[in-house]
Amino acid sequence: MLIRVEDLTKTYALGAAEVRALRGVTLGIERGEYVAIMGPSGSGKSTLMHIMGCLDTPTSGRYVLDENEVSALSGRALARVRNREIGFVFQNFNLLPRIDLVGNVALPLVYRGSLARAERRARATEQLERVGLGHRLGHRPNEISGGERQRASIARALVNEPSILLADEPTGNLDSKTGREIMSILDGLSREGKTVLLVTHDASVADHARRVVRIEDGAIASEDTH
Amino acid sequence: MNAFESIGAGARDMASNKARAVITTVGIVLGVASVVTVLSLMRGGEAQTQAFFEELGGLRELRITNTRTNRVFMTAAERASERLTYRDAQAILEECPSVSTVDPEITRWFDVSYRDHTYQMKVLGTNRHYPYADNMRVAEGRFISDADCDTYANVVMLGPTYKQDLFGDEDALGKIITIHGVPFTVVGVMEKKEFYFQGGGPGGDHNVLEWFNRSLYIPITTMVKRYTVSDRLGGLEISAKTVGLVPSLIDETRTVLLRRHGVEDFNIDSKSEQIEQQAEQAAFFNIVFWAVAFVSLFVGGVVIANIMLASITERIREIGVRMAIGAGSRDVFMQFLVEAIVVASAGGVVGLGLGVLMVGAVDSVLGMPTALTPGIMLIAFLTSIAVGIIFGLFPAVKAARLDPVEALRYE
Repeated sequence: MLIRVEDLTKTYALGAAEVRALRGVTLGIERGEYVAIMGPSGSGKSTLMHIMGCLDTPTSGRYVLDENEVSALSGRALARVRNREIGFVFQNFNLLPRIDLVGNVALPLVYRGSLARAERRARATEQLERVGLGHRLGHRPNEISGGERQRASIARALVNEPSILLADEPTGNLDSKTGREIMSILDGLSREGKTVLLVTHDASVADHARRVVRIEDGAIASEDTH
Repeated sequence: MNAFESIGAGARDMASNKARAVITTVGIVLGVASVVTVLSLMRGGEAQTQAFFEELGGLRELRITNTRTNRVFMTAAERASERLTYRDAQAILEECPSVSTVDPEITRWFDVSYRDHTYQMKVLGTNRHYPYADNMRVAEGRFISDADCDTYANVVMLGPTYKQDLFGDEDALGKIITIHGVPFTVVGVMEKKEFYFQGGGPGGDHNVLEWFNRSLYIPITTMVKRYTVSDRLGGLEISAKTVGLVPSLIDETRTVLLRRHGVEDFNIDSKSEQIEQQAEQAAFFNIVFWAVAFVSLFVGGVVIANIMLASITERIREIGVRMAIGAGSRDVFMQFLVEAIVVASAGGVVGLGLGVLMVGAVDSVLGMPTALTPGIMLIAFLTSIAVGIIFGLFPAVKAARLDPVEALRYE
């Protein structure tokens, strides 16, 4: 099993009040699965995604990623896991505005270290060509369309060959036609064997996944597989 | 991410926000330029003082003078003392092992004639040591010799200005002039001696050593025998064999003179003491410049810290993204520290350029002595890097401590 989450809780202190964002989530995801985590805003799905993306640590419970106990790792080790094992695709793309597409896509390789600049650029170029942006290599994010930006961010997520592709509302800032294009790229990646995790409130997006996990009030409400 | 990549990233970031870069670096530019200017002025002043004293015979030299005494209330011992005499000079030369040259001096003003022209001229009775002690060079002929002193010879050496007054362009060697009615043979002419202080120092822009050129030099024994009768000296300069022997020479001379005078009615001053005093004065004067440099650098540093903090706020999302794709706190820390250093050292480079211009201006417009060395440039540049590190530290720590989730959520 690639991801195993056991009785995960997360509590925030919000002023004097305590907010229990997760109240004991247990979930397992196999390698190669295409899973959507669905829920309305405030349900705790973002918190779950942050913990599974190693951006955040749980208040209690275990998180085992590829046989490694992640919940016990230090900040530096977590950064390493994010770099090697997880590819993020964000709703608002989050490309760095002052760097061209090749530079953006190569950035995870920079933090990985040990690769020469030419090699990094070659790999970044290869990923950009894979998502159909071979003609946009030297452009900056503000010079291309929203759909192209999201494809670039998918290329960036894939450049380190991570175990998991974590897409947080990947179509949220796109029109429906462009959104469908992005979803078909993710579908294709899933068919190639990538483990894809979608986080969305949109049922039509969630429908692309074979398994849908619904979260409500910090706990799993239901699960469907189709 | 290694240091070179960080530098590249910092440089690119700066280039992409030129207005910010200019504002950020103004303080550093002024600070570094001030450092360059101050150091150049200090070095130039030191070098000039050094050169002046070298021209006067260097650091090996001691000047012995009579102390001022109250002539009404002199003690018996003071009354008994003959004060500094030519015999004292001879005794020092014979008895002090550390002594190299002894140059006694008796000065008088006399009517000096050549053919039908007569002038009032300054005549110095001295010995063969004089040119060595005062670092003078002979242009033609020779100086007073020991033999001249031993034989009370009527020979004279001319300072170049007096030579011009008496002879014009005519050859002076071997000619006879009369000093106070006594004929003397010209045996030599001195080389012109000159020193100009740059800037508003003592002497301004005239030759402060001109009095060397306006002198006639005759054997001191002849001076005593023909004119003064008394061998009391107007001044006595002696020099040690090496700079290191100056303290021993002071002791030896004091012993000899105390024995001969019976009372300490003399002062012994070394040139190095004078140089030290001068340096202390210069150091105090330079505090003002240092204050300007320090304040500029401090303000420059605060501006850098401030702009870096603003830039971090502006880039919180970017930091979050970098963290999400694998940047550790250390990477983020290094990125912002290196950016601060790149900005500061870029300011340093511009400041060096401005400093060189300022030094040139101080030199040519204000006419103050300056010395711009590679060492000074290096110190000033390293200062800018140090400012970058010191003032980049806090913003870098702040950036590195950001929580990735918060940073990603930041609008």
